[in-house]
Amino acid sequence: MTAPVLSVNAVCKRYPGVQALDRVSLAVGMNEVVGLIGQNGSGKSTLLKILAGLVKPDEGSVLVRGRPFAGGFAAAASAGIGMVFQEQSLILNVTVAENILLGCEGEAVRYGFYDWPKLRALARRQLDKLGCDIPPEAITGTLSFAQRQMVELAKSIAVEDRVGGDPIILLDEPTSVLDADDIDTVLTQIERLRSHAAIIFVSHRLDEVLRVCDRVYVMTNGRCVAECNAKEANPAVLQQLMLGTQLIEEYQRDGRQACLVEEIRLSVRNLRCRTNYQDISFDLHPGEIVGFAGVEGSGRESLCRTIYGVEAPTGGEVLVDGREVRFRGPADAVALGIGYVPSERRVEGIVSGMSVRENMTLAHLDVVRRGGLIDLGRERSLVAQLMQRMNIKAPSPNTLAGQLSGGNQQKVVLAKCLISEQPRILILDHPLRGLDVGAKAEIFRQVRELAASGMGVLLIADTLEELIALSDTILVMRDGRITARFQASEHIPEPIEILEHMI
Amino acid sequence: MAVLFISPRALRGAAVTIAPAMVLAALVLGIGVFEPSFLSSYSLLVLIRESSPILLLALAQTTVIMLGGIDLSVAAVASLTSVLLALLLPQLGVLGLLAVLLLATGIGAAQGYVHVVAQIPSFVVTLAGMGLWSGIALSIAHTSIPVDEGYAVVGWMESTLLGIPVCFVFGVGGATLLWLALRWSSMGRYVKAIGLGETAALLSGVPVNFVKVVAFALSSLFAGLTGMALVARTYSGSPSAATSLLLPSIAAVVVGGTAITGGFGSYGRTIIGVLIITVLRVGIAIVGVDPGYEPLCYGLVVVCAAALTIDRAHLSVVK
Repeated sequence: MTAPVLSVNAVCKRYPGVQALDRVSLAVGMNEVVGLIGQNGSGKSTLLKILAGLVKPDEGSVLVRGRPFAGGFAAAASAGIGMVFQEQSLILNVTVAENILLGCEGEAVRYGFYDWPKLRALARRQLDKLGCDIPPEAITGTLSFAQRQMVELAKSIAVEDRVGGDPIILLDEPTSVLDADDIDTVLTQIERLRSHAAIIFVSHRLDEVLRVCDRVYVMTNGRCVAECNAKEANPAVLQQLMLGTQLIEEYQRDGRQACLVEEIRLSVRNLRCRTNYQDISFDLHPGEIVGFAGVEGSGRESLCRTIYGVEAPTGGEVLVDGREVRFRGPADAVALGIGYVPSERRVEGIVSGMSVRENMTLAHLDVVRRGGLIDLGRERSLVAQLMQRMNIKAPSPNTLAGQLSGGNQQKVVLAKCLISEQPRILILDHPLRGLDVGAKAEIFRQVRELAASGMGVLLIADTLEELIALSDTILVMRDGRITARFQASEHIPEPIEILEHMI
Repeated sequence: MAVLFISPRALRGAAVTIAPAMVLAALVLGIGVFEPSFLSSYSLLVLIRESSPILLLALAQTTVIMLGGIDLSVAAVASLTSVLLALLLPQLGVLGLLAVLLLATGIGAAQGYVHVVAQIPSFVVTLAGMGLWSGIALSIAHTSIPVDEGYAVVGWMESTLLGIPVCFVFGVGGATLLWLALRWSSMGRYVKAIGLGETAALLSGVPVNFVKVVAFALSSLFAGLTGMALVARTYSGSPSAATSLLLPSIAAVVVGGTAITGGFGSYGRTIIGVLIITVLRVGIAIVGVDPGYEPLCYGLVVVCAAALTIDRAHLSVVK
């Protein structure tokens, strides 16, 4: 390794109740891609935030090209550090060009006004570096998620023109929400960037990390527990390092229910909704997990939202326990014992400014109410029980939900549905999105337990492997119609078989 | 020997919580230095009596602001109420009062309903309401209508209880009731959830539309009570009785430290905010500021007070 461009020396950071970073040291050389892996809450994001200048370390030092790094967003930018955030930070209603150059327009602004052709040309140059053909004048909101991620990348490498040197690029899970094809594109870009940048790459997908990185640092509980050469490592070893002594649960499902109970919990008949989906019919039995496969735009998300009462159908019927229902809103669905775990956890799943306790009882305050008033004592004990049962790690029930790690937030969302005595149908929209191996395994196990206890589950998963591992019945959707059905008790499909019907 | 240890963080939190009260105390004492008679119990009682209509109006506003909305119609509803009371009290007495308050509540519920069903921002719906209700008040009575017969039905608000003006006690009592209701009922939890994250609240099955309609109905009910206090104060009802109180009532809520973007706030904060605003108005005159410069002083001090009282720890962005 050449002299490090970026070195972190014994950095510590404490938050109330957590030691987020404990004497972490690492170094990144020029033209090197360094992987950073660890479970949610292991301190990766905190470390990146320190490097991006958003958070100040309590102790320790950060050197950029041999000079101490002062901290602060402006200092990071002038030191040539660019960051791609886990949750995208683009402004959706302006053009791609404006986003890429936001805050560092430089010569594209004359007398306080945009010089549009110049602005587009500058943005074009960044996009060209990535070999990416997104038009700079497009409105960002009209792009697909993957395209937006490319714009994020272009934005982060724009720093190199400003400092006139090779940039340091921090990538915080840039692939966690992308489909397989798009992941490939992004990874190719990262490999290409290596020739003129130093890169720190954070991802939960170990195969990606091993593919693009030269070296990998493993973090656990705020400490850097291992550093290894990517060529010599393999996923199983890394997983073991990340989890510490925890056992790795494979996505294997034993004891599949060969025959389901006769009783039908939810029945959907010829349901349709404008152009989103048509003629959808299926049954959900107690204890069954029905998984939906499909690409974005296949209508599976819209279907789940209809069943939860968020979107009104334009035809067909939904029967719960044999009785037809017409929901005017989610409140009606909740009253019938339907729970929903939305895919946009931070916006739709939790109220981040409310405490864990308040979030957990929000959907079912009736459970903790006595004589019309909230019984705080009962609420506290119920929440404490559930936090223990679901292994939710928070300093206290009064911690704001927004301060928890992604995995714990997801458990809070799940707990919210389970706090009522009789949840009967659970709709999971990308429940494992953005979670690390440990949290995934835990949610995975909990979903199975819930189904085993007699709940009917509708599932939209991130990957086909997850879907196959969890589902009793798989419905494949394409362009708003069901194109195939697989019954796990008869035949467990291979991903390729499902894929054939998806696209 | 017991050593009391308080972490700097907790100390800072406590300082922010009591900041509105500290600003109020500093203002009162500061004016007292200029004019010692200001601190006499007589003038302080006059002050709180003076603050009561704004208090009722600001309380009306608080629930709606905590939801992240705003109610611009409160002053117009208060004025309309005062006119209707002046007309109905002589014939109907208590029954008239109840009918008018019921009508006010209905007006609020209707505004809330339009807001949620037609999906029009509360700012616009209540701005329209402001024009509508003050227009109706004006078409009923072009000028103020005196009340003599039936005055006793509202007159009790102008009496004193243990030396304290009843209208102020009434306002504080109303605030206490609202506080208790929101602290211990689902409604309070729902208001907070909607203010902080409406989408998540909706997807949790919170009856968002219902909560909003109730909040606007409550708002107009308190506006109606303001109208009643004004009739008691002036022995008359007038289509412009409360017009000048609208902006001070909103300012009072914000100066008290409630977030204008919703989610965080309390009725206790509003009481302090109302007192700050009233002390300012009265105090500037007492200190002897030239009347020509009064608005200028008022403006400057309101900004400074808000700078000190708003608890930014609960806000990700200040809008």
